[in-house]
Amino acid sequence: MAAHSTRAGAVRRLDWLTVTLLLGGVLLVYYLAPMASLFLAVPPGEVLGKMTNATVLGAASTSLLSASITTVLATLFGLPLAYWLARTDAVVKNLVLAAVILPLVLPPTVGGVVLLTVVGPNTVVGSLASTAGIPLTRSLAGVVLAQTFVASPFVVVTAKAAFEAVDPTLEYASRSLGKGRWATARNVTLPLAGPGILAGVTLAFARAMGEFGATMMLAYYPRTMPVQIWVSFVSLGLEDAYPVAIILIVVSIAALAILNTVASNPWE
Amino acid sequence: MSLELEGLERAYSGFDLGPIDLTVDREVLSVLGPSGCGKTTLLWLIAGVLQPDAGRITLDGRSIEGLPPERRNVGLVFQDGALFPNMTVEANIAYASSDPAYAAELAELLEIEDVLDRRPQTLSGGERQRVALARTLATEPDALLLDEPLSSLDAPIRRRLRSELHDLFDTIGIPVVLVTHDQRTATALGDRITVLRGGNVEQTGPSTAVLERPATRFVADFTGNENIFEASVAARDPETVTLRVGDVRFEVAADADSGPAVGSTLTACVHPSRVRLRKPAASLDPGEALVEARVRRWLNEGDEYRVVVELEHAPLTLTATVSPPEFESLAVDAGSRLRVVVAPDAVHLITAERPDGRAGTERPRQD
Repeated sequence: MAAHSTRAGAVRRLDWLTVTLLLGGVLLVYYLAPMASLFLAVPPGEVLGKMTNATVLGAASTSLLSASITTVLATLFGLPLAYWLARTDAVVKNLVLAAVILPLVLPPTVGGVVLLTVVGPNTVVGSLASTAGIPLTRSLAGVVLAQTFVASPFVVVTAKAAFEAVDPTLEYASRSLGKGRWATARNVTLPLAGPGILAGVTLAFARAMGEFGATMMLAYYPRTMPVQIWVSFVSLGLEDAYPVAIILIVVSIAALAILNTVASNPWE
Repeated sequence: MSLELEGLERAYSGFDLGPIDLTVDREVLSVLGPSGCGKTTLLWLIAGVLQPDAGRITLDGRSIEGLPPERRNVGLVFQDGALFPNMTVEANIAYASSDPAYAAELAELLEIEDVLDRRPQTLSGGERQRVALARTLATEPDALLLDEPLSSLDAPIRRRLRSELHDLFDTIGIPVVLVTHDQRTATALGDRITVLRGGNVEQTGPSTAVLERPATRFVADFTGNENIFEASVAARDPETVTLRVGDVRFEVAADADSGPAVGSTLTACVHPSRVRLRKPAASLDPGEALVEARVRRWLNEGDEYRVVVELEHAPLTLTATVSPPEFESLAVDAGSRLRVVVAPDAVHLITAERPDGRAGTERPRQD
């Protein structure tokens, strides 16, 4: 009798897991089916042909260049902030962290709006920069500003967690062995936090490549790939948006591959 | 070469360390105390990992308290070794040393040559401690600090490393400060012992003196002295004080200046190693107090026995440590009769007592 009820319990548990998988599976299909359908809808030859198109190439190079600059900037300024957040006891720590996370939760177009109030053509900063020959809107600089605003929090938040995982005692040990702060950072902290930092950098690059909302507000020109998709879709129809969309999907999959291999996937 | 601490103070997460005054010459100073007494904080202050709120730290005459850790040339071996997991053992040592030949020499000295290409995560506790020590010594420090160097080790490895460290400290000839909560490690390695309690120095002195002549009840308790008892002063002359417990009298070598008055009650102690047991028919040496006793229980501690005896003419229980051959010749067993011999210089009067002194709440861990 007892054995029978245990058995029945096991069956019930198994059933329950299957039910959850079936329900969740709906979502999974919803994720994957459109991707498959996109790749199936377009003959590979046609996609390759359009990829050599000057407009597509221009958008791709703008995106790659701007996202690379953005990633460098986000890393350069994001890592120190992440380290400070990981090690400080300051009372303002949570406020600073909130400020870092704000761009993540802010709708990107709103991010664009607030950026325009600082770097727009009619603002002090914007007009000074224009006079100096570096317009901050409708320029590569504008693209980078928009992308950095939206993408850099990924570096800070992910690298902060990576730094927190490095035992401060190891840094003390390095310094008591006669190494200064830079040598300690280079030889101990950064290598140990490396996979986490790489994850943050990868996420920031992927986010920068896909940035649309804030970029539209700040720099419609030069066109990045997401902007080009929108322009193609509006002026020429959906099919013209396919080739660039496929490039962006490939970039995203590459980012995912990095996260699951050399970097430490922050969502695992 | 000497390390001097003057009025060193630090308020740290709800408790105050210091003011601490200590001088360590070319010797090993064991800082003994329960966990949370400020031992690690003290080392971190000397190494520069923490900054003191007040006080001076002088190493070889140069003031170092304002310097960052990397410019103090003070070697600190962290409690768990703090080896860099992203480097091999060899790289860990090479990181600290600019001289590969010296690094190799240290690896040989500490017998870690066969683990040089391993990662720290794969080492045993004993190997980790050796590597950490080699790495620190590779910097050729002017002073060496060790934080619980043997606490994470199994008893046999601990014993072996203890004697190896003892030899090593003899050869390096720099001030060594070793903190531990283990009385045996403290006495085995330390030329002198400082007992720390609640952030303050309770007593500093040569190891034997601290063990046999504890300044306070806390020191006596924490150094494993179980024989602490109240006694009244029965008589007193310039050389000796006669103590009385029940019908038993002990002669105690008197301190010339601070003698207790006849009739007063005071706290006395005898270190278990100074309580001698004799067969019931044994003869006496001159001056020895001899007391009839009965064995209550005994404990085999591996390299020695701890025998607890009840005195027959006094409400007093004493513990004696006895070597295995002695134990056998005495034929110790529960209930058997023995004589207890206590030499006059073995009994110590605890005169200093801190006003807030509540001894006996914190117990040392022993192996």
